[in-house]
Amino acid sequence: MSSPGQLADGSGGPPDAAALHAEFERVWGNPRGWRALTIVNHSVVALRFMVTGLVFFVLAGLLSMLMRVQLARPGQQVIDAETYNQAFTAHGTMMMFLFAVPVLQGAAAYLLPKMLGARDLVFPRLSAFGYWCYLFGGLIFCAGLALGLAPNAGWFMYTPLSSDVHSPGPNSDFWLIGITFVEIATMAAGIEIAVSILRTRADGMALHRMPIFAWAMLVTSMMIVFGFPPLILASILLELERAAGWAFFDPTRGGDPLLWQHLFWLFGHPEVYIIFLPAAGMVSTLVSVHAQRPLVGYSWVVVSLISTGFLSFGLWVHHMFTVGIPALAQGFFAAASMAVAIPTAVQVFAWIATLATGRPRWNPPMLWLAGFLATFVLGGLTGVMLAFVPFDWQVHDTHFVVAHLHYVLIGGMLFPLFAALYHWLPLASGRMASPRLARLGFWLSFVGFQGTFLVMHWTGLLGMPRRVWTYDSGMGWDWPNLVSSVFGFVMAFGVAATLLDLALHWRFGRKAEPNPWHADTLEWAVGQPPTSYNFASLPPIDSRHPLWEQPQLQSAIAAGDFELPRAAHGRRETLGSDPVSGRPREVIHLPGNSVLPLLAALLLSAMCIALLARFYWPALAAACATTVVLLRWSWENCAHPKAAAGEAFDLPKGLALHSRTFDGPGLWGMGLTMAANAALYASFVFGWCFLWLVAPAWTPPAKAPLDVWTLPAATGAFIAGWALLRQLSGRLQHGVDQGLGLRLLAAAACGAAGCAVLGKALAGATLAPTRSAHDAMLAFLLVYLLLHGALAVLLALLQAARVRHGHVGLQAPYEPGVVAILWLFVVGVTAVAWVAFGLLPTALAGQG
Amino acid sequence: MTRWRWDHPRQLVLGLLLWSLWFVAVYGGHALACRAGAPAPWIVTGLLDCTAIVVTVLAWAAWRCLAAARSLPAGVARFLARSAAALHAVAALSTVFVGLPILLVPACA
Amino acid sequence: MLLLSGCSGPLSTLDPAGPSAAAIAQVLWWMLGVAVVVSVGVIALWLWAMRPDAQRRGHERRWLVGGGLLLPGVAIAALLFFGASAGRHQWPWPGETPALVIDVNARQWHWRVRYPEHDLVLQDELRLPVGRAVHVRTSSDDVIHSFWVPRLGGKLDAIPGRTLMLSLQADRPGRYLGQCAEFCGIGHARMPLVVIAMAPDDFDAWLAAARRAP
Repeated sequence: MSSPGQLADGSGGPPDAAALHAEFERVWGNPRGWRALTIVNHSVVALRFMVTGLVFFVLAGLLSMLMRVQLARPGQQVIDAETYNQAFTAHGTMMMFLFAVPVLQGAAAYLLPKMLGARDLVFPRLSAFGYWCYLFGGLIFCAGLALGLAPNAGWFMYTPLSSDVHSPGPNSDFWLIGITFVEIATMAAGIEIAVSILRTRADGMALHRMPIFAWAMLVTSMMIVFGFPPLILASILLELERAAGWAFFDPTRGGDPLLWQHLFWLFGHPEVYIIFLPAAGMVSTLVSVHAQRPLVGYSWVVVSLISTGFLSFGLWVHHMFTVGIPALAQGFFAAASMAVAIPTAVQVFAWIATLATGRPRWNPPMLWLAGFLATFVLGGLTGVMLAFVPFDWQVHDTHFVVAHLHYVLIGGMLFPLFAALYHWLPLASGRMASPRLARLGFWLSFVGFQGTFLVMHWTGLLGMPRRVWTYDSGMGWDWPNLVSSVFGFVMAFGVAATLLDLALHWRFGRKAEPNPWHADTLEWAVGQPPTSYNFASLPPIDSRHPLWEQPQLQSAIAAGDFELPRAAHGRRETLGSDPVSGRPREVIHLPGNSVLPLLAALLLSAMCIALLARFYWPALAAACATTVVLLRWSWENCAHPKAAAGEAFDLPKGLALHSRTFDGPGLWGMGLTMAANAALYASFVFGWCFLWLVAPAWTPPAKAPLDVWTLPAATGAFIAGWALLRQLSGRLQHGVDQGLGLRLLAAAACGAAGCAVLGKALAGATLAPTRSAHDAMLAFLLVYLLLHGALAVLLALLQAARVRHGHVGLQAPYEPGVVAILWLFVVGVTAVAWVAFGLLPTALAGQG
Repeated sequence: MTRWRWDHPRQLVLGLLLWSLWFVAVYGGHALACRAGAPAPWIVTGLLDCTAIVVTVLAWAAWRCLAAARSLPAGVARFLARSAAALHAVAALSTVFVGLPILLVPACA
Repeated sequence: MLLLSGCSGPLSTLDPAGPSAAAIAQVLWWMLGVAVVVSVGVIALWLWAMRPDAQRRGHERRWLVGGGLLLPGVAIAALLFFGASAGRHQWPWPGETPALVIDVNARQWHWRVRYPEHDLVLQDELRLPVGRAVHVRTSSDDVIHSFWVPRLGGKLDAIPGRTLMLSLQADRPGRYLGQCAEFCGIGHARMPLVVIAMAPDDFDAWLAAARRAP
């Protein structure tokens, strides 16, 4: 094996650090001007996420100030009821969807590759696409606000209030379409972060040596994969109800308003832990660094993170304790809601133990973390109180809950975020913030927050409901509201001072020394500010604290002492690792800058705007155009010349480019995407069973609209196609590539047959989705199966074309396995449909 | 499917996955049984039996993971086995705690 | 005394006038007490841990087990066991005979209160006899509302397509206030319900008179 830094053909000595840097910049450098719109590099995209998120944060904060002015005195009419309703809906929606999750995902996208010892995330174009979808979706939502058409039915959009009958006009559509568009970004980032954590770690970074923040983001990302789809489904169903009149939530037509609540909170409760866990990961990281000792109870914290992730999916009905669910069922959710406090308490005491046995210092990050602890513990305790059902019956939908949620969200997310921004500011900008302005910002924010929200518990206990635009005097609410409003302004000044401090010191702060906080993890070895490629060579590690063990690591990395130390070949590369042990398995080659993500996002925006305006043919055209761009995007992949032309001769011994193997990020990405899809489908099947058993006016027709052969026949056709794909993958593994294209075409034909069966059933069945929820569910099912079947056929045809062009074959055998996963999913959902929608109703009807 | 191992990474999630399935079973099962008009004492017994079985399985799995961990040298496999043991225990205790209402609250009311 | 007078208010959950609200308020005071002690304790611990003294090592495991497992474990077990009975007043247990059945039908933005056994309809007003539980059946004609009289007990939603039931009891005669507690549109803030509890004889007299009136 040639020595690191030397080309495999032995020519030339290893370049020095400066020449190496120039070599890498040629491959990884970020363009300026208009071409900056094509950047896919994680550092740039992540910073865009964070800055955009902070802008939305300020906007949503201004809305809250408007609300507090209105509520400062009883009987005021600073704004009218409609404006107030739009304000609180937009405030909650923007904070939850346009600020909290995107900013944390942005921070994770920025930090993780650096912490894990990788050069970029695994799907760079997807990161960029996610950002544009987030930006455009957010702008669409804010356009509604600007036009006075913001959604006004509350951030959780309960039906029937949010249905077209009670909320005519496009307001709620801005929510359903705009926010679902933004959720594409959330899902994409979640899947990408999970795959990156599992498959692109430094050599030797086994799971037990992974930074604790990576564990937090792994759990969070898996929660996103399973937690967001129920909401995506519910949003699609509600939009169909509003725009096309399909009955899902209307109790007079066999639907049920409670179905919306179940689907929403199935998402909604995990959502708040999706917001808290990344912050908890940041706290764990910061506490360890600023106490200058390893985190106490690393394994305990990992176990707590995973426990919280799972338990949080079993709490959702605690938002529905007043809807008349049986007492024992409420009891289950009450107990689970209390139990989830324990893993959180373990983390809190791990932090306290770390500080107590370390050498902590009161610098700006630690100031914010002290504020976090004081606030979040209070919020957690009121949460346990709310878990106690009878108490919840009193304070549900009052300002007590408003106080609680702000304690846990601001205390548990915003304060750690500010701590993290101060902590990593020197890394990202190379400059330090000013301790004086930081302290001012902290104290104003902290005192302002406590003043605003502590008394709000009292306001709620005195009976003030949520979402009231005004109130009468004489309830005892006058002085608490005034206090909240006054301190709200104090807090606003504090937040403004903090953001100003961070923004100013980004440009003008005093230069930071390298690794100013004496941290232990790899992100501090990439330069301040980081280079576009993070690491000139990828170091192996053998402990949780690489920089504490080897303080000179950064210069060795820059000198090219470790793996993948050259970029003269023109490829963007990082090491692909075993998910458990961290041993290198392949070299992952990554796409460079591309305009396709921006293009696809623009076309999707056009589709969303058309849907909002209810121009359906233009929307369909935009959807088709998007599909074309996405297909082109997937074409420029793997063995395509634009991705990684020809054979690579300068790889480390024993490793190949991932597209020349049978495993790679795309396999994992497809797997997780199908897992998310399965969560959506499972929510749909749950909805079917729920409506069948519980909906007030559910009337299944006397004769089943689907004949008994449709679903089994479709399943069989898809199984045949999937089997063909598996077979050809197996043949490729054995070095046989005859009949590759033919088998792909045959698989496509089987899939087309399955689609034809479904299409015939859809056309022939006498379904009236606008008259009965039963028919609406069946119609949705058939369309869902048909769309997925068509996608499977399309991808098989695409593979056949790629075989013809030589992009898929013995030398590049990777892609058919990825497509096979989609086919397996299609088989699965069709088979489940057969049982749940074909066999089960017959059995239930038989029971009478 | 690879061979069953107590230090496999999937052990990290299997315990709480079983807890999730148990949760769906008791929540859904209680709703269905009440709707079908089964007598309350039968429902309570059924729920308790289901809970007891799941707790036993999870406690046993925790013990097996712990035993496997003891025979492993320090490294990622031992970390996985010990963490899995803790997670199975968490799942077992969560099943017990979330099952307590079965004893405290009447069924079907 | 100052605290208690600060607790009163027409919609206050801390000024109970019925057994359900009273039982809940009692658990609340206990929970509040424990919450204050725990939060002060944990904050104090964090501040103590932040002392820049010489290095202190050891006993890490005790923090995790004592603070992370035992403290919350005992607290939530106590809450579950001791609090379980606080909700029994609100629940319309099968086999319990109420004094009255009252249908409360919510629509944007008024309450239509019907006494089905007495063929009487009131708007935005509900009357009940003191000292006996009545069963309130909620329903809605349009969107989800929520029936709530804080001084008497917890709330119950009024959901279109469903009839839900709670048990309501006042222990003292008087005029109480209810308020819609689920956001129901533009008139949500102004959807009050006046609840008048009367001594049983007064109530019977009023009922008789109201039925005879056209």
